[in-house]
Amino acid sequence: MPISRFLFFSSKRSSTQQALNLLKRCGPSKRIQSCNYTKSSGGFSNGKTRAHSVTSVETQASRSWAVYAVPAALLGFAGLATLVHYNDERRAIPKGQGNKSSGNTVKGPTIGGPFTLVDTENRIVTEQNFHGKWVLLYFGYTSSPDVGPEQVQIMAKAVKLLESKYNSEILPVFVTIDPQRDNPSQLRAYLNEFDSRIIGLTGPVSAIRQMAQEYRIYFKKVEEEGDDYLVDSSHNMYLMNPRIEVARCFGVEYNAEELSEAILKAMISTPT
Amino acid sequence: MALEAYASRNPDTVHADVLSKARQACYKARDAFYACLDKESNKRPTEIASVGLLYPSECKNSRAEFDKHCRASWVKHFDRQYCRNRRVQRLLDDKDSRRGPLMLPQPYTFKSS
Repeated sequence: MPISRFLFFSSKRSSTQQALNLLKRCGPSKRIQSCNYTKSSGGFSNGKTRAHSVTSVETQASRSWAVYAVPAALLGFAGLATLVHYNDERRAIPKGQGNKSSGNTVKGPTIGGPFTLVDTENRIVTEQNFHGKWVLLYFGYTSSPDVGPEQVQIMAKAVKLLESKYNSEILPVFVTIDPQRDNPSQLRAYLNEFDSRIIGLTGPVSAIRQMAQEYRIYFKKVEEEGDDYLVDSSHNMYLMNPRIEVARCFGVEYNAEELSEAILKAMISTPT
Repeated sequence: MALEAYASRNPDTVHADVLSKARQACYKARDAFYACLDKESNKRPTEIASVGLLYPSECKNSRAEFDKHCRASWVKHFDRQYCRNRRVQRLLDDKDSRRGPLMLPQPYTFKSS
Protein backbone atom coordinates (compact mmCIF):
# COMPACT_ATOMS: atom_id res chain seq x y z
CA MET A 1 0.00 0.00 0.00
CA PRO A 2 2.63 2.60 0.91
CA ILE A 3 4.74 1.54 -2.12
CA SER A 4 1.88 2.20 -4.52
CA ARG A 5 1.35 5.56 -2.89
CA PHE A 6 5.03 6.38 -3.35
CA LEU A 7 4.88 5.50 -7.06
CA PHE A 8 1.73 7.55 -7.38
CA PHE A 9 3.52 10.45 -5.73
CA SER A 10 6.64 10.11 -7.90
CA SER A 11 4.62 9.99 -11.10
CA LYS A 12 2.87 13.17 -10.01
CA ARG A 13 6.31 14.63 -9.31
CA SER A 14 7.51 13.96 -12.85
CA SER A 15 4.54 15.81 -14.26
CA THR A 16 5.25 18.69 -11.90
CA GLN A 17 8.83 18.67 -13.22
CA GLN A 18 7.50 19.21 -16.72
CA ALA A 19 5.28 21.99 -15.46
CA LEU A 20 8.21 23.57 -13.64
CA ASN A 21 10.38 23.40 -16.79
CA LEU A 22 7.70 25.21 -18.69
CA LEU A 23 7.56 27.88 -16.02
CA LYS A 24 11.35 28.20 -16.08
CA ARG A 25 11.39 28.76 -19.81
CA CYS A 26 8.74 31.42 -19.57
CA GLY A 27 10.35 33.26 -16.70
CA PRO A 28 13.89 34.12 -17.97
CA SER A 29 12.61 35.26 -21.37
CA LYS A 30 10.57 37.92 -19.65
CA ARG A 31 13.49 38.95 -17.52
CA ILE A 32 15.82 39.11 -20.51
CA GLN A 33 13.41 41.44 -22.12
CA SER A 34 13.32 43.60 -19.03
CA CYS A 35 17.14 43.65 -18.84
CA ASN A 36 17.35 44.89 -22.42
CA TYR A 37 14.97 47.66 -21.63
CA THR A 38 16.96 48.87 -18.62
CA LYS A 39 20.29 48.62 -20.50
CA SER A 40 19.10 50.82 -23.25
CA SER A 41 17.65 53.42 -20.87
CA GLY A 42 20.95 54.80 -19.43
CA GLY A 43 24.23 54.47 -17.59
CA PHE A 44 23.04 54.79 -13.99
CA SER A 45 20.71 51.89 -14.53
CA ASN A 46 23.67 49.43 -14.71
CA GLY A 47 23.89 48.98 -10.98
CA LYS A 48 20.19 48.72 -10.85
CA THR A 49 20.08 46.00 -13.49
CA ARG A 50 22.66 44.01 -11.55
CA ALA A 51 20.70 44.44 -8.29
CA HIS A 52 17.61 43.75 -10.26
CA SER A 53 19.10 40.55 -11.63
CA VAL A 54 20.22 39.53 -8.10
CA THR A 55 16.76 40.07 -6.70
CA SER A 56 15.22 38.42 -9.71
CA VAL A 57 17.51 35.39 -9.17
CA GLU A 58 16.48 35.35 -5.56
CA THR A 59 12.80 35.57 -6.32
CA GLN A 60 13.33 32.94 -8.97
CA ALA A 61 14.97 30.64 -6.39
CA SER A 62 12.29 31.19 -3.78
CA ARG A 63 9.62 30.96 -6.39
CA SER A 64 10.96 27.66 -7.74
CA TRP A 65 11.01 26.20 -4.23
CA ALA A 66 7.42 27.30 -3.71
CA VAL A 67 6.60 26.08 -7.18
CA TYR A 68 7.94 22.67 -6.21
CA ALA A 69 6.36 22.51 -2.80
CA VAL A 70 2.84 23.80 -3.24
CA PRO A 71 1.63 21.39 -5.95
CA ALA A 72 3.36 18.52 -4.17
CA ALA A 73 1.58 19.38 -0.94
CA LEU A 74 -1.74 19.72 -2.72
CA LEU A 75 -1.32 16.40 -4.47
CA GLY A 76 -0.24 14.71 -1.26
CA PHE A 77 -3.32 16.05 0.49
CA ALA A 78 -5.50 14.86 -2.36
CA GLY A 79 -3.91 11.40 -2.12
CA LEU A 80 -4.52 11.25 1.62
CA ALA A 81 -8.12 12.34 1.19
CA THR A 82 -8.78 9.63 -1.39
CA LEU A 83 -7.19 7.04 0.86
CA VAL A 84 -9.37 7.99 3.84
CA HIS A 85 -12.48 8.08 1.67
CA TYR A 86 -11.71 4.66 0.23
CA ASN A 87 -11.18 3.22 3.70
CA ASP A 88 -14.45 4.69 4.92
CA GLU A 89 -16.34 3.15 2.04
CA ARG A 90 -14.79 -0.20 2.72
CA ARG A 91 -15.63 -0.17 6.47
CA ALA A 92 -19.05 1.37 6.20
CA ILE A 93 -22.06 -0.56 7.43
CA PRO A 94 -25.22 0.83 5.87
CA LYS A 95 -27.79 2.16 8.28
CA GLY A 96 -30.08 -0.40 9.80
CA GLN A 97 -27.91 -3.39 9.14
CA GLY A 98 -24.89 -4.61 10.97
CA ASN A 99 -24.20 -7.14 13.68
CA LYS A 100 -26.22 -6.06 16.73
CA SER A 101 -25.42 -9.03 18.94
CA SER A 102 -21.69 -8.44 18.87
CA GLY A 103 -22.10 -5.25 20.87
CA ASN A 104 -23.96 -6.67 23.88
CA THR A 105 -21.63 -9.36 25.16
CA VAL A 106 -19.55 -8.21 28.10
CA LYS A 107 -15.89 -8.72 27.41
CA GLY A 108 -14.25 -9.09 30.75
CA PRO A 109 -11.71 -11.46 32.25
CA THR A 110 -12.57 -15.06 31.50
CA ILE A 111 -14.00 -16.16 34.81
CA GLY A 112 -14.92 -19.75 35.28
CA GLY A 113 -13.52 -23.13 34.63
CA PRO A 114 -13.87 -26.81 35.36
CA PHE A 115 -14.08 -28.09 38.89
CA THR A 116 -14.57 -31.38 40.74
CA LEU A 117 -16.11 -31.17 44.17
CA VAL A 118 -18.16 -33.17 46.62
CA ASP A 119 -21.74 -32.28 47.47
CA THR A 120 -23.68 -32.73 50.69
CA GLU A 121 -24.63 -36.33 49.81
CA ASN A 122 -20.98 -37.22 49.29
CA ARG A 123 -21.32 -37.44 45.53
CA ILE A 124 -18.82 -36.02 43.10
CA VAL A 125 -20.08 -32.96 41.25
CA THR A 126 -18.39 -31.35 38.28
CA GLU A 127 -19.35 -28.38 36.22
CA GLN A 128 -20.94 -30.69 33.65
CA ASN A 129 -23.73 -31.31 36.13
CA PHE A 130 -24.77 -27.71 35.66
CA HIS A 131 -24.95 -27.83 31.89
CA GLY A 132 -28.28 -26.62 30.56
CA LYS A 133 -29.36 -24.86 33.75
CA TRP A 134 -29.02 -21.36 35.14
CA VAL A 135 -26.88 -21.39 38.26
CA LEU A 136 -26.47 -18.84 41.04
CA LEU A 137 -23.11 -19.48 42.61
CA TYR A 138 -22.00 -18.19 46.00
CA PHE A 139 -18.66 -18.74 47.70
CA GLY A 140 -18.98 -18.60 51.45
CA TYR A 141 -18.44 -20.55 54.64
CA THR A 142 -20.75 -21.68 57.42
CA SER A 143 -18.86 -19.97 60.24
CA SER A 144 -19.46 -16.50 58.88
CA PRO A 145 -20.82 -14.20 61.62
CA ASP A 146 -23.15 -11.97 59.66
CA VAL A 147 -22.48 -11.47 55.95
CA GLY A 148 -22.57 -15.14 55.03
CA PRO A 149 -26.00 -15.95 56.46
CA GLU A 150 -27.38 -12.73 55.00
CA GLN A 151 -26.16 -13.59 51.53
CA VAL A 152 -27.45 -17.13 51.65
CA GLN A 153 -30.78 -15.79 52.85
CA ILE A 154 -30.89 -13.36 49.93
CA MET A 155 -30.00 -16.18 47.55
CA ALA A 156 -32.79 -18.38 48.90
CA LYS A 157 -35.33 -15.57 48.72
CA ALA A 158 -34.34 -14.69 45.18
CA VAL A 159 -34.74 -18.30 44.06
CA LYS A 160 -38.18 -18.45 45.67
CA LEU A 161 -39.18 -15.16 44.02
CA LEU A 162 -38.01 -16.34 40.63
CA GLU A 163 -40.02 -19.49 40.95
CA SER A 164 -43.22 -18.01 42.28
CA LYS A 165 -43.43 -14.66 40.54
CA TYR A 166 -41.50 -15.15 37.33
CA ASN A 167 -41.87 -18.86 36.83
CA SER A 168 -38.24 -19.50 35.97
CA GLU A 169 -35.93 -21.99 37.49
CA ILE A 170 -32.48 -21.36 38.77
CA LEU A 171 -30.15 -23.60 40.71
CA PRO A 172 -28.53 -22.10 43.82
CA VAL A 173 -25.08 -23.42 44.66
CA PHE A 174 -23.04 -22.72 47.77
CA VAL A 175 -19.34 -23.50 47.55
CA THR A 176 -17.47 -23.38 50.79
CA ILE A 177 -14.15 -21.58 51.04
CA ASP A 178 -13.51 -23.20 54.41
CA PRO A 179 -13.30 -26.87 53.47
CA GLN A 180 -11.37 -27.86 56.56
CA ARG A 181 -14.29 -27.14 58.87
CA ASP A 182 -17.21 -27.42 56.44
CA ASN A 183 -17.67 -31.08 55.73
CA PRO A 184 -20.72 -32.34 53.80
CA SER A 185 -22.93 -32.96 56.80
CA GLN A 186 -22.16 -29.53 58.21
CA LEU A 187 -23.14 -27.99 54.90
CA ARG A 188 -26.28 -30.05 54.80
CA ALA A 189 -27.34 -28.95 58.27
CA TYR A 190 -26.52 -25.33 57.52
CA LEU A 191 -28.18 -25.06 54.14
CA ASN A 192 -31.30 -26.94 55.08
CA GLU A 193 -32.23 -24.07 57.34
CA PHE A 194 -32.38 -21.73 54.37
CA ASP A 195 -33.63 -23.71 51.43
CA SER A 196 -33.43 -27.40 50.66
CA ARG A 197 -32.72 -26.69 47.00
CA ILE A 198 -29.36 -25.10 47.67
CA ILE A 199 -26.58 -27.41 46.62
CA GLY A 200 -23.59 -27.33 48.93
CA LEU A 201 -20.18 -28.13 47.56
CA THR A 202 -17.00 -28.84 49.39
CA GLY A 203 -13.95 -30.93 48.79
CA PRO A 204 -10.22 -31.20 49.41
CA VAL A 205 -8.44 -27.92 49.98
CA SER A 206 -6.55 -28.11 46.68
CA ALA A 207 -9.73 -28.51 44.65
CA ILE A 208 -11.38 -25.58 46.41
CA ARG A 209 -8.32 -23.44 45.94
CA GLN A 210 -8.19 -24.26 42.24
CA MET A 211 -11.85 -23.41 41.77
CA ALA A 212 -11.44 -20.16 43.68
CA GLN A 213 -8.58 -19.22 41.42
CA GLU A 214 -10.59 -19.98 38.30
CA TYR A 215 -13.50 -17.91 39.56
CA ARG A 216 -11.29 -15.08 40.80
CA ILE A 217 -12.46 -15.39 44.41
CA TYR A 218 -10.29 -13.86 47.10
CA PHE A 219 -10.33 -15.68 50.40
CA LYS A 220 -7.99 -15.62 53.35
CA LYS A 221 -7.99 -16.88 56.90
CA VAL A 222 -7.98 -14.08 59.42
CA GLU A 223 -8.18 -13.85 63.20
CA GLU A 224 -6.66 -17.26 63.53
CA GLU A 225 -6.68 -18.70 67.03
CA GLY A 226 -6.09 -22.40 66.65
CA ASP A 227 -9.28 -23.88 65.28
CA ASP A 228 -11.27 -20.69 65.48
CA TYR A 229 -10.87 -18.34 62.57
CA LEU A 230 -12.79 -16.19 60.17
CA VAL A 231 -12.35 -16.24 56.42
CA ASP A 232 -12.14 -12.90 54.72
CA SER A 233 -13.55 -13.10 51.22
CA SER A 234 -15.00 -11.15 48.37
CA HIS A 235 -18.71 -11.79 48.85
CA ASN A 236 -19.78 -12.14 45.26
CA MET A 237 -22.53 -14.11 43.65
CA TYR A 238 -21.98 -15.36 40.14
CA LEU A 239 -24.72 -16.02 37.66
CA MET A 240 -23.87 -18.81 35.24
CA ASN A 241 -25.82 -19.41 32.04
CA PRO A 242 -26.75 -22.88 30.70
CA ARG A 243 -23.51 -22.94 28.72
CA ILE A 244 -21.51 -22.96 31.97
CA GLU A 245 -20.22 -19.44 31.36
CA VAL A 246 -20.22 -16.73 33.98
CA ALA A 247 -22.73 -14.15 32.80
CA ARG A 248 -22.90 -11.69 35.67
CA CYS A 249 -21.50 -10.93 39.08
CA PHE A 250 -23.50 -9.53 42.01
CA GLY A 251 -22.06 -7.90 45.11
CA VAL A 252 -23.48 -7.54 48.61
CA GLU A 253 -25.45 -4.46 47.69
CA TYR A 254 -28.19 -6.47 45.95
CA ASN A 255 -31.23 -7.46 47.95
CA ALA A 256 -33.52 -10.32 46.97
CA GLU A 257 -35.88 -8.34 44.73
CA GLU A 258 -33.15 -6.58 42.83
CA LEU A 259 -31.28 -9.84 42.45
CA SER A 260 -34.28 -11.69 41.04
CA GLU A 261 -35.02 -8.86 38.62
CA ALA A 262 -31.45 -8.72 37.39
CA ILE A 263 -31.35 -12.49 36.96
CA LEU A 264 -34.59 -12.39 35.01
CA LYS A 265 -33.24 -9.69 32.75
CA ALA A 266 -30.13 -11.73 32.07
CA MET A 267 -32.22 -14.83 31.37
CA ILE A 268 -34.41 -13.03 28.86
CA SER A 269 -31.60 -11.29 27.02
CA THR A 270 -29.49 -14.40 26.51
CA PRO A 271 -30.39 -16.41 23.46
CA THR A 272 -30.30 -20.12 24.24
CA MET B 1 -10.90 -43.72 45.19
CA ALA B 2 -10.58 -40.04 45.89
CA LEU B 3 -14.03 -39.83 47.42
CA GLU B 4 -13.34 -42.43 50.06
CA ALA B 5 -10.02 -40.83 50.82
CA TYR B 6 -11.73 -37.48 51.26
CA ALA B 7 -14.45 -38.95 53.48
CA SER B 8 -11.97 -40.71 55.69
CA ARG B 9 -9.87 -37.60 56.10
CA ASN B 10 -12.74 -35.37 57.13
CA PRO B 11 -14.67 -36.48 60.19
CA ASP B 12 -18.39 -35.98 60.02
CA THR B 13 -18.71 -33.50 62.84
CA VAL B 14 -21.34 -30.82 62.68
CA HIS B 15 -20.46 -27.57 64.37
CA ALA B 16 -23.78 -26.64 65.86
CA ASP B 17 -22.67 -23.26 67.12
CA VAL B 18 -23.00 -21.70 63.69
CA LEU B 19 -26.42 -23.05 62.87
CA SER B 20 -29.48 -20.86 62.91
CA LYS B 21 -30.52 -21.27 66.53
CA ALA B 22 -27.07 -20.60 67.92
CA ARG B 23 -26.68 -17.64 65.59
CA GLN B 24 -29.91 -16.09 66.78
CA ALA B 25 -28.90 -16.53 70.42
CA CYS B 26 -25.55 -14.93 69.64
CA TYR B 27 -27.17 -11.96 67.91
CA LYS B 28 -29.49 -11.43 70.86
CA ALA B 29 -26.66 -11.46 73.40
CA ARG B 30 -24.65 -9.14 71.19
CA ASP B 31 -27.48 -6.66 70.89
CA ALA B 32 -28.10 -6.77 74.63
CA PHE B 33 -24.45 -6.05 75.34
CA TYR B 34 -24.22 -3.14 72.95
CA ALA B 35 -27.48 -1.72 74.23
CA CYS B 36 -26.02 -1.79 77.71
CA LEU B 37 -22.94 -0.01 76.40
CA ASP B 38 -25.03 2.70 74.80
CA LYS B 39 -27.10 3.11 77.93
CA GLU B 40 -24.12 3.42 80.25
CA SER B 41 -22.08 5.52 77.86
CA ASN B 42 -21.60 8.26 80.41
CA LYS B 43 -19.89 5.91 82.86
CA ARG B 44 -16.15 5.43 82.76
CA PRO B 45 -15.07 2.34 80.80
CA THR B 46 -12.89 0.27 83.05
CA GLU B 47 -13.17 -3.25 81.70
CA ILE B 48 -11.40 -4.53 78.64
CA ALA B 49 -13.46 -6.33 76.05
CA SER B 50 -11.38 -7.21 73.03
CA VAL B 51 -9.63 -5.50 70.12
CA GLY B 52 -9.34 -2.31 72.13
CA LEU B 53 -12.98 -1.93 73.15
CA LEU B 54 -13.54 -0.80 76.71
CA TYR B 55 -16.76 -0.97 78.63
CA PRO B 56 -17.98 0.09 82.06
CA SER B 57 -18.26 -2.50 84.79
CA GLU B 58 -22.05 -2.21 84.80
CA CYS B 59 -22.17 -4.24 81.63
CA LYS B 60 -20.09 -7.10 82.90
CA ASN B 61 -23.00 -9.52 83.01
CA SER B 62 -24.15 -8.91 79.48
CA ARG B 63 -20.56 -9.21 78.37
CA ALA B 64 -20.34 -12.64 79.97
CA GLU B 65 -23.51 -13.71 78.18
CA PHE B 66 -22.15 -12.39 74.92
CA ASP B 67 -18.93 -14.32 75.35
CA LYS B 68 -20.80 -17.48 76.22
CA HIS B 69 -23.15 -17.54 73.25
CA CYS B 70 -20.79 -16.51 70.52
CA ARG B 71 -17.54 -17.79 69.21
CA ALA B 72 -14.41 -15.84 70.11
CA SER B 73 -13.72 -14.84 66.51
CA TRP B 74 -17.27 -13.60 66.17
CA VAL B 75 -16.97 -11.57 69.36
CA LYS B 76 -13.87 -9.89 68.01
CA HIS B 77 -15.53 -9.27 64.67
CA PHE B 78 -18.58 -7.66 66.25
CA ASP B 79 -16.47 -5.58 68.62
CA ARG B 80 -14.42 -4.25 65.77
CA GLN B 81 -17.54 -3.40 63.82
CA TYR B 82 -19.01 -1.61 66.82
CA CYS B 83 -15.85 0.46 67.29
CA ARG B 84 -15.90 1.42 63.63
CA ASN B 85 -19.51 2.51 63.77
CA ARG B 86 -18.92 4.46 67.00
CA ARG B 87 -15.97 6.23 65.47
CA VAL B 88 -17.99 7.24 62.43
CA GLN B 89 -20.78 8.48 64.67
CA ARG B 90 -18.35 10.48 66.77
CA LEU B 91 -16.90 12.00 63.64
CA LEU B 92 -20.31 13.05 62.42
CA ASP B 93 -21.37 14.43 65.79
CA ASP B 94 -18.11 16.16 66.66
CA LYS B 95 -17.99 18.15 63.47
CA ASP B 96 -21.33 19.72 64.30
CA SER B 97 -20.45 20.69 67.85
CA ARG B 98 -17.10 22.20 66.89
CA ARG B 99 -18.49 24.59 64.37
CA GLY B 100 -20.62 26.48 66.82
CA PRO B 101 -23.85 28.31 66.05
CA LEU B 102 -24.67 28.22 62.39
CA MET B 103 -25.58 31.27 60.43
CA LEU B 104 -28.93 30.44 58.99
CA PRO B 105 -29.89 32.38 55.87
CA GLN B 106 -31.97 35.38 56.90
CA PRO B 107 -35.01 36.25 54.85
CA TYR B 108 -34.04 38.99 52.49
CA THR B 109 -36.37 41.88 52.25
CA PHE B 110 -35.57 44.40 49.60
CA LYS B 111 -36.31 47.86 50.80
CA SER B 112 -36.47 50.37 48.03
CA SER B 113 -35.66 53.67 49.50
